[in-house]
Amino acid sequence: METAVLLVVLVIALSLFFDFTNGFHDTANAMATPIATGALKPKVAVLIAACLNLVGAFLSTEVSQTISHGIINNEEAINSDLFLSLIFAGLIGAITWNMLTWLLGLPSSSSHALFGGLIGAVIVGYSWTAINYGVVLSKVILPAVISPITAGVIAFLATRLAYALTRRYDGKPDGRDGFRWGQIFSSSLVALAHGTNDAQKTMGVITLTLVIAGWQSASDTEPQTWVIFACAATIALGTYVGGWRIIRTLGKGLTEIKPAQGFAAETSTAATILSSSALGFALSTTQVASGSVIGSGLGRRGSKVRWRTAGRIGVGWLLTLPASATVSGLAALIIVWLGPWGIAVDTVLAVATVLFIYLRSRRNAVTAANAMSEVADSGLAVKVKKNPPPTRRQRAIMREEARRRAAVEARERAKRKAQTKAEAQANKNSGDRSDSEAKK
Amino acid sequence: MTLTIDWISFLEVFVVALIGALLVVGFYAIAVRLLVRGGKVPVVAPAEFTDAIAIISEKERAKAAKAAAKAAKKSPLTDGQKLVARVGAYISFGLCGLAVLGGLILIVIQ
Repeated sequence: METAVLLVVLVIALSLFFDFTNGFHDTANAMATPIATGALKPKVAVLIAACLNLVGAFLSTEVSQTISHGIINNEEAINSDLFLSLIFAGLIGAITWNMLTWLLGLPSSSSHALFGGLIGAVIVGYSWTAINYGVVLSKVILPAVISPITAGVIAFLATRLAYALTRRYDGKPDGRDGFRWGQIFSSSLVALAHGTNDAQKTMGVITLTLVIAGWQSASDTEPQTWVIFACAATIALGTYVGGWRIIRTLGKGLTEIKPAQGFAAETSTAATILSSSALGFALSTTQVASGSVIGSGLGRRGSKVRWRTAGRIGVGWLLTLPASATVSGLAALIIVWLGPWGIAVDTVLAVATVLFIYLRSRRNAVTAANAMSEVADSGLAVKVKKNPPPTRRQRAIMREEARRRAAVEARERAKRKAQTKAEAQANKNSGDRSDSEAKK
Repeated sequence: MTLTIDWISFLEVFVVALIGALLVVGFYAIAVRLLVRGGKVPVVAPAEFTDAIAIISEKERAKAAKAAAKAAKKSPLTDGQKLVARVGAYISFGLCGLAVLGGLILIVIQ
């Protein structure tokens, strides 16, 4: 029993650490665009993000219930000691993979690392049949594939709408700067949405742990209040601490995002995440935000996808789930082989890896590897022309202008012609006169 | 083992998010448009001029503010029409905020 208590405490501590790295990693998701367009001062942006993450975590617990009461079959019938150590292995895999991708600058998703880790550990250490593949497919994998596309399409349409409604054809100021105010609200919404989805994942893992340890009844699907508080506070703290990275890397060249575009992108990110959270889909907020940035880039006139960059981002996303599953699978294998000693070995290995990665990242200068955010970088997948081609109405106006100018020119030409003709006539007449005078 | 996938719920997310985003962006854009019509062209400088912001410099902002003032002076609208446009703009901003609040309330109630 004592080992079980120790394990539960260890798993909860590790989950909270994961929650912290999640907030740390994802501050940029909510705040990359407003900082890029200058809507908010970086320090203010980070503070707002932290507060709203805290609030968001209390709004909806659907996602947490997906994890705690969905992906594992027959939770009561499971051997709790072994299973707790497997959750532990899963978390270790997720954290290690998260830190590794952070160091290497690979696009990745904390959420998928977590799911990959849990699934990998359970499959290796327990059995294939313990996972409810229907729930995993419909609430994790399919939303992962569909949600960035959904967000991208919505952002595309929203950007089109924002530009169309504010476009002026008389060359007077269009006031699109006003979207900079709007971005303060839309980016706050993204931070809120982040809380409703990402903090929930850790709550789900802790609740799952409590259910398996027998400390919470399996029929009680809501996470306990202290769990909600702990997770909300940790993700907010992580978000706040993660801010230094943004401020440090600000000068490092971002994608050019205009206020109207940023507003549309953030609104669609928030709308997609919030509506998915309400239905219990566990999304990757990073991927949704990246999809929105790409979609809104395409919504501007004269833009093109850079397929190579987009492909790199896509491959990074697809890699996350199997890669963290493999890492966790290895950790689970060590536990299965060595028993309780395996947990100790895993812990030592994980601490060593995380420390090594942390020290490496401190040593490095600011490079693409630890630059601001994947979300802002994903904007590079879209190429926007400096001088976009005209819209249909602008073309019509230009044609009309050209016709008017041609008519004016033709009139002037005719006038000039008549004038030269008249002059020539006058010259001729005067010439005739001088001739006749000479003859006389 | 049977896999049941609820495809309708994906469609639901898409439609709800689309409607929400278009309402918010649409009302906001209309509000900005009406503000411009009402002679109050918003010129909002970036909160902080960092290297990252290549979009507008301090000089460009001053130029934009001047152009906005000039355009507002030349506006053919009467004062009454401008007032209507401005009131419309604030109503539209309000509707945008209401759309956001409504969405959040729907989520919390659920």
